Amino acid sequence: MSLLQVDGISRHFGGVTALRNVDVRMREGETLGMIGPNGSGKTTFVNIVTGHLVPDGGRLLFKGTSIAGAAPHHLAALGLTRTYQAVRVFGGLSVRKNIEAALLLGLSGAPAAAEQDELVHWLRLDHRLSSPAGSLTLFEQRRLELLMRLLQRPSLIMLDEPVGGLAVTEVREMIALLQELKARCSIFVIEHTMRVIRELADRVVVLMAGEKIADGPPADILRDKRVVEQYLGTAHA
Amino acid sequence: MTDATLLVLASTLSTGLILGAIFALVAAGVTIVYGCVWLPNASNGQFFLLAALAAWSLAGAGWSSAAAIIGVLFMGIALSLVIEWVLVRRLYDVPERNVAYFVVTLGLTQIMSGIFAMSWGLWSDQFTLPPLVDGITMIGPFPMTNNRIVVLAIALGVLAVLFAALRYHPYGRALRAVFQNREAAALRGVNVRAIYRLSFLLGSSIIFLGGMLFALAYSFDLTVAWTMSVTAFAIMIVGGPGSVLGALVVGMVFGFTQAIVSIFASPTAATFSYLLAMLAMLLFRPSGLFNR
Amino acid sequence: MNGRHLAIALAVAALAAPFVLEGNRFLAFVFGIVMINLLWASGMNLLYGFVGLMPLMFAGIAGIAAYAMVALTREAGWSFWLATPVAAVGAAFVGVLLGLPSLRLKGFYFTLCSLVIQSVLTLAFTFFPRFTNGDTGLNQIEPPAWGGVQLAGVWFDATLSVVAVVGVLLAAWIVQTRLGQRFIAIREDDVLAEVMGIDVVRNRIIAFFIVSLYAAVGGCFYASYVGFISPRSFDVLTSLGIWLCVAFGGRGTIIGPIIGTVILAPIPYLLQELQAFKDVLSGVLIIVVTLVMPAGIHGEIMRRRSLRRAAAPPTVSAAEAVSSNGGAR
Ligand SMILES: Nc1ncnc2c1ncn2[C@@H]1O[C@H](COP(=O)(O)OP(=O)(O)OP(=O)(O)O)[C@@H](O)[C@H]1O
Ligand SMILES: [Mg+2]
Repeated sequence: MSLLQVDGISRHFGGVTALRNVDVRMREGETLGMIGPNGSGKTTFVNIVTGHLVPDGGRLLFKGTSIAGAAPHHLAALGLTRTYQAVRVFGGLSVRKNIEAALLLGLSGAPAAAEQDELVHWLRLDHRLSSPAGSLTLFEQRRLELLMRLLQRPSLIMLDEPVGGLAVTEVREMIALLQELKARCSIFVIEHTMRVIRELADRVVVLMAGEKIADGPPADILRDKRVVEQYLGTAHA
Repeated sequence: MTDATLLVLASTLSTGLILGAIFALVAAGVTIVYGCVWLPNASNGQFFLLAALAAWSLAGAGWSSAAAIIGVLFMGIALSLVIEWVLVRRLYDVPERNVAYFVVTLGLTQIMSGIFAMSWGLWSDQFTLPPLVDGITMIGPFPMTNNRIVVLAIALGVLAVLFAALRYHPYGRALRAVFQNREAAALRGVNVRAIYRLSFLLGSSIIFLGGMLFALAYSFDLTVAWTMSVTAFAIMIVGGPGSVLGALVVGMVFGFTQAIVSIFASPTAATFSYLLAMLAMLLFRPSGLFNR
Repeated sequence: MNGRHLAIALAVAALAAPFVLEGNRFLAFVFGIVMINLLWASGMNLLYGFVGLMPLMFAGIAGIAAYAMVALTREAGWSFWLATPVAAVGAAFVGVLLGLPSLRLKGFYFTLCSLVIQSVLTLAFTFFPRFTNGDTGLNQIEPPAWGGVQLAGVWFDATLSVVAVVGVLLAAWIVQTRLGQRFIAIREDDVLAEVMGIDVVRNRIIAFFIVSLYAAVGGCFYASYVGFISPRSFDVLTSLGIWLCVAFGGRGTIIGPIIGTVILAPIPYLLQELQAFKDVLSGVLIIVVTLVMPAGIHGEIMRRRSLRRAAAPPTVSAAEAVSSNGGAR
């Protein structure tokens, strides 16, 4: 059984076709990368899977049950969560309050205090607990985002460009964090930075203008002539 | 049909046309500013009334109606510039500016209605402007005062010019570009703040003109401000915020509704129906009828 | 703790004030009005300050409850103490029903929608006079009786103090429960709150119900305290006035609405001769609050204080540096 099964979803915005008939499957424990030029529909894909947008058609299964039309808060309780391309934390609240907000979900298996501290420490946020989240650096905010999700013990986390806007050294650190994250949950990651995909992903899906044009191991995909020409060649010349 | 029913029909028709054109004008003024700058002016009815009262005062001081209208328009532009400078421009870069501006204009509504009550309200309770032109024209068998014909012509003419300008004039095109996408317009070299100011000035001038046209065609009291605010907002919401075409069509429909309802019931019943129409629209189709 | 001491001091002051003001009926009456407004403001603050929605139909809901209470006591012969809870719960349900579809909206659309609903209610109060007596209003509303004796004078004022204190304490308690934390998360970012597993619409409905109860209970007490109600008692200006108490004092804090209400609520009664001037004043305050000090008086005080603290450290740390150097030597 797939952890996530997306069959033939499409989505239009007025005249713009953001997604056309896209199929994606993910196994438990797998790390799946998604690449594609700007505007190719990657964020739209995540928006649909996480209940932010309704697809025009298609099927959505998570852990074998249909999640079509489910609200994001419902999916969070099921263990499906996401981060945002533009980092999103409760900027007006302290880091500690952000953590408390994440714990409001009230799962029966919520991490005990010791494990919470361990997570905070792992993401190196211990010295920032009383600062307003909005005053943190971008990298810190991205780590806080991860922390808030992990406190809810997701089975699948969908990351929308987790290293976007980070400095080179920070990218390296983030990749290391995500490597460790693989032990905790399955990861779906959108990225323009090929390093992230190459080092993290077990498999890559390529979107072009809303259509899936390739799907396979990163080594093959990143050598695929079509992908190189259409995407790597043009967008990242 | 008897002559009496015919006459009622004719007067309903002409009232509907004039009211509809004025409603459309004011609503266009509100909707342009909302669509472009994202600023909903809740005090549009007070602006409307202010212009009417100012023209009334000038006429009382011996000005002809035409001179009073032109004078008030200039004063209105000056006042809009001041308001833009003191209040509105502070909100251009605020992300939730529509709520803030809505609240600010609710405050402005209170200030202006307080001032009206302390001034014009003490002088009289019914106001009207002397007609622009005298005489009556027979349109077929129906008599219509030349004054109302001129009012209707001005209202429709301004609407037509507005419509054409938004479509073809470079300023109008820039305005529409900002409507559609502020960032993209800025990248293409449109001076967004200047366009904001322009659309605010344009919007308020149209509202001022609407108030004076109304004062020419009908006598009014201070409560017209509230009624007009409700009506203009209802038209904007039903027609689709930012859609001038929507303002036109729905404004006309509301004008005729008002004319017909007024035969059977109090005009408040019409206001009530606008409120309900707006409510239904907000709840079921907030983007309005004329937005994609 | 500082906050607790302040709370006790304020509660004692509120409960003692009616007895202090006993000699001056006018001031005692204004005080009673302030207490009702305090109840209203702390309710409005729950929604505006903690959930981030501006409910302009607040007064309309208070009106529904007040008219229902009068009808129940006059026509069905109920006692005030039975009619008020029934009318309040009923009005809160009506409020939620009216507000339900609009709770999907947010920001400007929610505010506009609530304003429209308020206008519809005002018109309904005027044009369906069966229970409201239209624009003329209802007068000689009986004050509540307590053990066969009608509440009057200082004891009525003291009752209002108790009601207001309970209302404020309840609000203070709610905001630090998990429910209150969810409210705050929704206010800060409703999309993120939803992703963090918070059912935004459901929590907004709960908030709306609680807030409607505050509005409604205040409306019933207002009717019986003033003895006269008309559609104008519960129009949009009333809603805006209560909102202003919250925004001017400092939204999203417990003390803010108290400050705002104590300063603003007496003004209409002290400026009785100058109604129109009162409108101008409150309009100016609305604009000032929105543009110049969105965090209200309380927020402004806190900002000044933290600025002073931020200005202070250099000297403090310099002193520390000196002393620690001294220690090292
Ligand atoms: N809410 C929306 N309304 C209208 N159009 C939208 C909306 N969201 C996305 N689109 C359009 O759908 C297309 C796909 O957008 P999407 O954000 O999914 O791209 P993306 O692959 O995430 O791009 P990027 O790499 O820039 O993040 C774009 O043309 C975009 O303009
Ligand atoms: Mg994207």
